[in-house]
Amino acid sequence: MNVPLHGIRVIDFCWVGAGSFTTKILADHGADVIKIESEAKVDGIRLSPPFAGGRAGVNRSGYFADRNTSKRSLALDMKTPGGRELARRLVASCDVVANNFTPGTMEKFGLGWEDVHRINPRAVYLAMSMQGDSGPERDYLGYGATISALVGLHHFTALPGRPPLGTGTNYPDHVPNPAHAAFAVLAALRHRRRTGEGQYIDVAQTEPTIALLGPLIMEWTVNGRDAGPQGNDHPRRAPHGLYRCAGEDRWIAISVLRDEQWPALVRVLGLRSVPEGWGEMAVRHRDRASVDAMIAAAVGDREAPVVAEALRAAGVPAALVQNTADLVHRDPQLAVREHWVRLDHPEMGESLYNAPPFRLTGTPVRPTRSAPLLGQHTDEILREAGLTDTEIDDYRQQGVLR
Amino acid sequence: MTGALEGLRVLDLSGALGNYCGKMFAELGADVILVEPPGGSPLRAEPPFAGDEPGPDNGLTFGYVNTGKRGIVLDLDTPEGAAALRELAGTADLVIESDRPGLATARGLAWADLAARNPALVMTSITPFGQTGPYAAYEADDLLLEALGGFLSLAGYPGGPPVRPAGEQAVAAGNLFGAVASMIALTSAELTGRGQHVDVSVQESVVLALENAVQFYDLEGTVRGRGSGQAARAGSGVFACADGDVYILAAGIGGNRFWPNFVAWMEAEGVAETELLQGERWNERAYVASAEAKEIFNRIFGGFVAGRTKAELYAEAQRRRVPLCPVSTAADIVVSRQLGHRDYLVEHAGFGALMPGAPYRLSATPWRTTGRAPRLGEHTDAVLREIGVTA
Repeated sequence: MNVPLHGIRVIDFCWVGAGSFTTKILADHGADVIKIESEAKVDGIRLSPPFAGGRAGVNRSGYFADRNTSKRSLALDMKTPGGRELARRLVASCDVVANNFTPGTMEKFGLGWEDVHRINPRAVYLAMSMQGDSGPERDYLGYGATISALVGLHHFTALPGRPPLGTGTNYPDHVPNPAHAAFAVLAALRHRRRTGEGQYIDVAQTEPTIALLGPLIMEWTVNGRDAGPQGNDHPRRAPHGLYRCAGEDRWIAISVLRDEQWPALVRVLGLRSVPEGWGEMAVRHRDRASVDAMIAAAVGDREAPVVAEALRAAGVPAALVQNTADLVHRDPQLAVREHWVRLDHPEMGESLYNAPPFRLTGTPVRPTRSAPLLGQHTDEILREAGLTDTEIDDYRQQGVLR
Repeated sequence: MTGALEGLRVLDLSGALGNYCGKMFAELGADVILVEPPGGSPLRAEPPFAGDEPGPDNGLTFGYVNTGKRGIVLDLDTPEGAAALRELAGTADLVIESDRPGLATARGLAWADLAARNPALVMTSITPFGQTGPYAAYEADDLLLEALGGFLSLAGYPGGPPVRPAGEQAVAAGNLFGAVASMIALTSAELTGRGQHVDVSVQESVVLALENAVQFYDLEGTVRGRGSGQAARAGSGVFACADGDVYILAAGIGGNRFWPNFVAWMEAEGVAETELLQGERWNERAYVASAEAKEIFNRIFGGFVAGRTKAELYAEAQRRRVPLCPVSTAADIVVSRQLGHRDYLVEHAGFGALMPGAPYRLSATPWRTTGRAPRLGEHTDAVLREIGVTA
């Protein structure tokens, strides 16, 4: 089997953002990820827009769908003894157990790290609560956007003199937490291959994002200076900024990396009366407000994609600030690299998904299966686990499989 | 105790687009060797600097993203340097590089060249647009990649310009997905004996940060714009308090389950007009997004927080299960009692100051760091001696 994570089984209690995306990365690369979920307490992201055709429904959220490709879904009410018993049975033979609950929740199910380690000493156990399993704020709650504020991203992402802003998204959920957590799980699985030993991984959903802000934090610890709102300027280079073009909310980004690119920019934009000293990076940086004003005036009534292309053709790094319509319909790079994948879904029909942002040239993978319906694979998974149809019916009668 | 990645050798030929990836391997136990050109990595010359003094060992970014590594100097543009790298790659499991596509091939250092003698080798190339496609040869920095990846279209004050997410997040995303992809390819190499070339696009890595925006366009035909801060909908956003700002996300989350907690809090505090926050309409997406709802919420909650501190609001909101956090500054993070309890910040020995520590805690194979980056060429002799090459 030429799929890199074939043979790895993940029992996945994750829900909402960061956790579900972590296990999706594993699923898209061949791991058998069984999502344990329940109608009794529906994964909040199944209830979050956008919805196929604008109509809400637990199997219609595009947000959920993109985060849960290639998984199977088992409906299990963990509040019932039968649900907990079945979960323990599945955990006994898996490779990874993952959750992103508040600390203590899995313990209530009898599936804390120590329980799982006793049932299955080879299992790698990933816990990704908001603030980790220890400390005075371990029980606090939050989402990607509140975490973003808590870890400094709101403070640093703003224009000087304006209120804290942030990325406009639940950023820690989408990149910092899932990527760090998936890396840690794969590292722990390597250790397991070599020693047979499972282990416990505690990811606080704050700490990976702070790790990405290292130099900004160190401006304080090393230099005693809060780096403050970063705005769009670069600490050394100019021009480096965003300039409004013709049309509604159209912008280009320009970033001159080396002095040799500056004359080309002057030529393409037809700048006049350019001060002589501006051939030098340090002088442009000193005068960056004037440099920016001159560029803004030159591009204000031009078409953003046309200017960006002309600059690029002249060797000046420039780009359209792309919106989602640009990304899906007009970006030639994403199209050639087949970043977008259309998958069919029993309720949603065909819709758009992300491919992984990398190509494994030796073991190529593409997401091939859309997100599961809630409980879509319940019977299949239980039969594989050795239950007879009668036993499955009994559990269903008891309200366990919902 | 051993590291989870002990026994792996990683050659890090990259700069900003790959050094953090290499750091992740180093701090879980791999032997990571940073390979720099004779003049040193260009990242050594990037500000900010310790004490505002430029110098090869003073760059905070270089110093932070290269902790835990050994460092050697090789001139890969000379036959001797390239030959030494080929030799070294024969002993390695992973090569991380971020040169413009085509350069490794021109130097005789493409994956196929290196794998000829070491078929299990993985080579991960982290480049702005990946190895293929019409943009592959273009230069781009973090700003351009945040633009082309769509991230800038979501960040900004309503009506204002896009605002760049701080801390070079496009660069970060490329590093992180590069690390994940490398681990997947290494898993496969350890199981099958066959390595491969991994082609990471930073632009695509940024696209993954777009949350549900692409699905909004695909399923509902809406282009999501810049609606951060208070403007997106009632019940969320940044609010100025007595000693800074707080961020609240009390409405519109998964079935609106925290809204009743929020309303109960305002009632208990005897806040005026609390009755306006009650009623079924606060469960309706359209109402919560309306100007009226925003105006009501901002007036009531904005007035309430104005006289209170970040710390007291954070503690009380969390006690009542309302998702609210302080908008932390660097100083807040350094004195955080939560991070302090977890000993999260660790010493950077090179700067004699704190830096972010373990992003994950592995019980059997803990994260650990040497706490500093290598000086230029610090380990050249030792590393070349290990593989029997004389420089």
